[in-house]
Amino acid sequence: MFAETSFSPWLRNGAYVAIAVAIALFPLLTGNTFHIHLAQTLLYTTIAVIGLNLLLGLSGQMSLGQAGFYAIGAYGSALLTAKLGWPIAAAMLGGIALAGAAGCLVGLVALRTRGLYLAMATLAFGFMVEIATQRWVDLTGGTMGIYGIPALDFGSSTMGKAYFLWVVGAVYLAVQITSDYVMHSRVRRNLLALKENESAARTAGINVPVWRTAVFAVSSVLAGTAGAFFTHQNAYINSDAFTLNLTLTMLIATVIGGLGASYGPLIGTLITLMIAELIASLYDVSFLVNGIILLTVLLLFPQGAIGLVQSVGKFLFARSSEGSETQAAPTDRAFALPVAPPSTGPTLVVENLTKRYGGVVAVRDVSLAIEYGKIHALIGPNGAGKSTLINCVSGLYRADSGRILLNGKDVSSLPAHARAHMGLSRTFQNLQLVGSLTVLENVQLGIRSTRSMPADFFSWLLSSTFEVEERARALALLQQFGIAHLAAARPEDLPYGHRKLAELARAMAEEPTVMLLDEPVAGLNDREAQEIADVIRRIRASGTSILLVEHNMEFVMKLADRVTVLDYGERIAQGAPAEVQVDPRVIEAYLGGSLEQSNSAGKLEAAS
Amino acid sequence: MSAANFVQLLLSGLAMGAIYALTATGLFIAHLATTRLNFGQGDFLMFAAYLSMALLLAGVPVALVMAVVIVVLALMGWGLERFAIRPLDRMRALVGGQYSWILTTMGVALIVQNVVTLVWGKSSQYSPPLFSANRQNVVQVFGAGVFVEELLVIVVALVAILLFYALLFRTRQGRAIYAVAFSPETAALLGVNVRRTVVLVFVLASVLAALSGVLVGPIVTVHPFMGLVFTVKAFAVASLGGFANPLGILIGAILFGVVESFSNYINSAFGDLYPLLLVLALLVIKPSGLFGEAKTDVR
Repeated sequence: MFAETSFSPWLRNGAYVAIAVAIALFPLLTGNTFHIHLAQTLLYTTIAVIGLNLLLGLSGQMSLGQAGFYAIGAYGSALLTAKLGWPIAAAMLGGIALAGAAGCLVGLVALRTRGLYLAMATLAFGFMVEIATQRWVDLTGGTMGIYGIPALDFGSSTMGKAYFLWVVGAVYLAVQITSDYVMHSRVRRNLLALKENESAARTAGINVPVWRTAVFAVSSVLAGTAGAFFTHQNAYINSDAFTLNLTLTMLIATVIGGLGASYGPLIGTLITLMIAELIASLYDVSFLVNGIILLTVLLLFPQGAIGLVQSVGKFLFARSSEGSETQAAPTDRAFALPVAPPSTGPTLVVENLTKRYGGVVAVRDVSLAIEYGKIHALIGPNGAGKSTLINCVSGLYRADSGRILLNGKDVSSLPAHARAHMGLSRTFQNLQLVGSLTVLENVQLGIRSTRSMPADFFSWLLSSTFEVEERARALALLQQFGIAHLAAARPEDLPYGHRKLAELARAMAEEPTVMLLDEPVAGLNDREAQEIADVIRRIRASGTSILLVEHNMEFVMKLADRVTVLDYGERIAQGAPAEVQVDPRVIEAYLGGSLEQSNSAGKLEAAS
Repeated sequence: MSAANFVQLLLSGLAMGAIYALTATGLFIAHLATTRLNFGQGDFLMFAAYLSMALLLAGVPVALVMAVVIVVLALMGWGLERFAIRPLDRMRALVGGQYSWILTTMGVALIVQNVVTLVWGKSSQYSPPLFSANRQNVVQVFGAGVFVEELLVIVVALVAILLFYALLFRTRQGRAIYAVAFSPETAALLGVNVRRTVVLVFVLASVLAALSGVLVGPIVTVHPFMGLVFTVKAFAVASLGGFANPLGILIGAILFGVVESFSNYINSAFGDLYPLLLVLALLVIKPSGLFGEAKTDVR
């Protein structure tokens, strides 16, 4: 659906110019004011639908409260002009700001809840706004509505409708372009990553709460913008316009057009408006028709109109040019892994770390230090606290006491994404690649862009070399790990061993000083484990320190420079692999022994 | 507020709370086994209320009305699962596909609403009483005049919920539902017919909507667009129980009904919104609900 068709930006921008010209000429060519009115409605509704498309299609958050934001934008602007006498532009901005503020509030709920809960919370929000518009008669006029709202016509009764269309058109085009940027840039990769797995997104350096709230705020601002235009198009509003049915119509437009597709909202809104005009005479069965459309589209054409056109297109032109771009990227130049800046002291220090779950102490007073460019293995029987420790270090869990130092800085109170930005990356025991991104895009997820968002936007808009360098770096990493030929594949199409390699490449793309590897060879055969071992050695050679949790003893002993052994959450041994192997307490912990014995062993350690 | 007033408000609150508990339990049971539910649960309730009203007005005896409404709604629950939810299984991987069921169940709700307006019109109507001679039948409880209908609604709804809990916790089918909730694959390996259990939970959810609809008809005015209110409130109540704890849902529902009853008395314009706002605020502070269990997602 998001084919990586990075053709020359001029072709794409040509489409924008064509749309602009069409909008400019439309009112001049048609004398029919009703058609102009419809075109206005199409464009501002599309703005709201684009917001929903980003929210639902990219971040996977379902909102059933868009009519609420739309209503806040509409009433905000209506009241500010009609009651307070603000100029239209200021009032519209005011209304939009109110909608955005409401979006941030609801976004707070979105932070704490997921999927179904969010759908319901937004449904309740929309419901409450609807009730307020109906019953708060002093403010909203209820079903009688608000009169005396100025129309946005720049004082011209003859050309007013055309001017309005041009203003709406300009805003629509700006929103469309921004939305296209979002869908072709790191914004999309980040949103898809946090949609699929939050923990993984956090450890890859994505500030999940901020992104989640921001996308919600953006969608509410766009809905509010549509509402404000609606107000000044009709110069009158009442509570009938802001029911759940409006939300559903926007959702229908989103799915009809094709969720997540660039021009999906425009096409979808066009189709829904046409249907609405066709069945205007059948008002009695409008719900029935809407319901049937929802079911038909979702059950029979879940990819929407854009998806349908694409499949037909693929069928007709079986020879597709897609993907040739990624293969053409330069790859044959010599490329070494990014080198971690040399350091004299230990890169990662864990001091007296303790983590409890209720009454259970999962990790008790564990300390360890990892030197620059060394592999430190963490081993122990099941339930020894290895995963807890690694989750505390990466920041997914907050330790109850103790300190974590990264490159000499105390990061104990920092969130996971901040630790990632300071040079800590990790892989997961059961892989956490983003399924809706290609392998290459997954690796790009790890690359820190040096460009600011506006710079990135203009690079996308104007330059034909947008992200070429990032793609080349990602591809070079994949090549280093021997899976460059799989760059365009989806993670689920890869064999398990290759997915592990892809995740290592993603972690390495962050150019970490410390990498946490959680069971990198679990479930792999010997040959695949050998490949992973080679890669890990190369990573070590580049200067990155590695904390390795692994059950495969042969693998650990071959690879590790130092080993820490945990049992029942306590450190029972630490040293070179050969020392640890012969340590009686370690042998006891692995081969079993009575509980009292292992407890006394722990006490012995604590006393010494 | 007089003591009589207090008792009246308390009982109205209990009656609505019992209805919410029934509706919310329907949401809970479907969500438990499938992580999906019917966003038209309230509209199913509304349909049941209309159907029951029509049958009562036609002179059908109450017991038969109950039976017919339950059978019709059970069929609707089956149809919903079969035609609006199950076909989505194969498109989970699509963008936004994992929430398509929200929209398809809402689509069915729209159709139900439209059918009701076509058959019974758009205006509000009064359903005849189920248990007493007329809606205004009053008995004296602690010196307060109380509608017999309300009292009986409370009793019947509570009995229905207790029966339902017995089904959930004491029968093989109930254990099958919990097994599917834990892991469909494991349940299948243990010999549970997962497909049938999934159908069963949607049928049960609809039957609960049927009961709520029949019972709520005589104590409120019935209109075609009342469903959304019930869906929203039932969801609020189910979230109080964290969608995990049936007893929490019952307590949450009763609390919600009673708070709403008093808040309506204090502020007749917006009284019904305050309990909803409270629940939303609570969800922000404690997303797992008052009686739910917290779950962390770290793999």
